Amino acid sequence: MRIVVTVKLVPDLNAEKRIDPATKRLVRTGMETVLNPYDEYALEAALQLKEKLGDDTTVTLLSMVPESSKETLRKALAMGADDAHVLSDEKLSGSDVFVTAAALAGVARKIGFDLVVCGGLADDGSTGGVPGALAEHLGVPGLTNARHLEISDGTITAQRETDSGYQTVTCALPALISVTMAVGEPRYASLKGIMGAKRKNIALLSAADAGVTETTSRTELLSFGPPPARTKARIVEAADGAAGAQTIFDFLRERKLV
Amino acid sequence: MRHVIAFAEHRKGQTRKVTYELATQAHELAQKLGGTAHAIVLGEGAGALAESLTKYPLDVVHVAEDPDVDAYLLDPTIDYLEGAARAIGSSIVLVPNTMYGRDVASRLAARLGAGLNADVTGFAIDGERVACIAPKLGGVTITTCAFEDCEYGVATVRPNAFAAQPGGAGARLETLAKPDAKPYRMRIVNEVEEASSELGLEEAPVVVSGGRGLGGAEPFTTLLKPLADALGGAIGASRAAADAGWVPYSLQIGQTGKTVSPKLYIAVGISGAIQHKVGMRSAGTIVAINKDGTAPISEFSDLLVVGDAFQIVPALTKLINDSKA
Ligand SMILES: Cc1cc2nc3c(=O)[nH]c(=O)nc-3n(C[C@H](O)[C@H](O)[C@H](O)COP(=O)(O)OP(=O)(O)OC[C@H]3O[C@@H](n4cnc5c(N)ncnc54)[C@H](O)[C@@H]3O)c2cc1C
Ligand SMILES: Nc1ncnc2c1ncn2[C@@H]1O[C@H](COP(=O)(O)O)[C@@H](O)[C@H]1O
Repeated sequence: MRIVVTVKLVPDLNAEKRIDPATKRLVRTGMETVLNPYDEYALEAALQLKEKLGDDTTVTLLSMVPESSKETLRKALAMGADDAHVLSDEKLSGSDVFVTAAALAGVARKIGFDLVVCGGLADDGSTGGVPGALAEHLGVPGLTNARHLEISDGTITAQRETDSGYQTVTCALPALISVTMAVGEPRYASLKGIMGAKRKNIALLSAADAGVTETTSRTELLSFGPPPARTKARIVEAADGAAGAQTIFDFLRERKLV
Repeated sequence: MRHVIAFAEHRKGQTRKVTYELATQAHELAQKLGGTAHAIVLGEGAGALAESLTKYPLDVVHVAEDPDVDAYLLDPTIDYLEGAARAIGSSIVLVPNTMYGRDVASRLAARLGAGLNADVTGFAIDGERVACIAPKLGGVTITTCAFEDCEYGVATVRPNAFAAQPGGAGARLETLAKPDAKPYRMRIVNEVEEASSELGLEEAPVVVSGGRGLGGAEPFTTLLKPLADALGGAIGASRAAADAGWVPYSLQIGQTGKTVSPKLYIAVGISGAIQHKVGMRSAGTIVAINKDGTAPISEFSDLLVVGDAFQIVPALTKLINDSKA
């Protein structure tokens, strides 16, 4: 079975993020990139499936990133992915959900897959829109927010999280899933994994290689600015429970919240 | 001219305030764009909900009480929405920014070849061009992002960002025809409730959230739930609490959990790590209860009371309940 895991590389959460005022794009160079945290869970889910299904199952990473940050993928290769496909093209810089999904779909089709596994949300764009859009572009079922998976006889059965609990859902392969954190903590790379990752293949593709023709975003960033500032808290030591409660109660009263 | 369509998320006819917020906003946007305002209600219980939506300033409420919508994940819903949007014509589709809404919006936008703007808290209109205002990059930037000049645009709208205001002359009810048979591929075998569905965390006007400082599962039900109930809110948690298995992950707030923006957020025994902060920083008022007066949460809350949550929370719940009596 062939599993493709979509992995975005994002600026570290603690890094200072900057949008270039001229291009209105997030500056992605000159700062530390990390694997999008959610996508580590996607990879973990894929690696668990590989363990269950046996060695003829392969796990391929698929990422659309500037070429300069592609080495960050070594960490995911060290965790156990077999190889990686990186789509990198100036034409695709600043892509919105529509173009990102169309482009990833082009590469996924080229690689071939039985299952595509996505994270739930990218740390930077944070639309959570790519998995659903990618399923549409690929024309396969999109089973989102899965937290527990079984595959047998070409059918997936998954528990998927909802607002208030979960649903059990089944569908036939090929399919796309997105996972939640409840699939399990991403594994650490072993020393052997880290050594082995150096030799694993990272294939580089252009938009044309991937058969991507659609590169016009459907949205355009017009302007951006800082959110209203939050100031440091008023800090009150509570003499006891009653005093602490009274302080909060009075404060909520003042703000007409109770 | 552009129309506006609000997707009504519900469960067997039970819905949440955000549906009425979208219905109201659909009307306001449609007025500015010179188009008509619509709502679409699908699945079991749709009829009753549609009836309640006619009291909002909409032109048409479209209904399909089709059991397939509840038997299969997403596919029938997207087919209905696509069909309705194509019949209505050039439009902006509003979907609540909830777990389910995000899935609906992303699939629909791809289907319609539309732009997708997520977690929208405001709109800016210039002629027929619609731009969406939304916090991005974990809330450090507020962006204004326009839909390009294409026929459709889809926006997931943050609950609590807009007012719900009944009114209007009474919307017309119309039944949607079943879209041409396409295979429905994802069958819902069963559904299990783990947390209360009365009030979704993302929509709650008040969130009372607990962290590692609570030390176990029990205080969430004995301490936090009564306070949340007294305030008409929902309970949430830090990742430390979810990782420990004290609450389901669906209650986790933060980078790898939910983003909330209630008017009041009370953080109990939560240190305020950046990964937590990005999920709640845009709350109206933030109150923290923590033993440690130097916890990072002091940097971005409005009030930090230094003391023991086990003493303070029950006393606070009592004060609030007594004030209502
Ligand atoms: C990739 C990644 C993603 C993450 N995503 C998230 C996320 O989505 N959400 C999230 O929350 N975290 C997330 N984290 C984890 C985050 O870094 C913190 O570890 C976590 O938020 C800490 O939870 P906490 O505040 O409950 O626990 P702690 O940091 O241990 O804080 C507990 C607090 O309780 C106080 N306390 C103890 N006893 C009492 C008492 N009796 N009364 C009052 N106060 C008391 C203590 O003083 C302390 O400040 C993520 C981490 C990583 C690496
Ligand atoms: N440029 C990208 N390259 C690879 N995967 C991506 C990319 N953008 C989004 N994804 C995948 O889609 C998920 C949701 O991202 P988003 O919709 O951008 O919040 C991520 O967790 C990734 O798995």
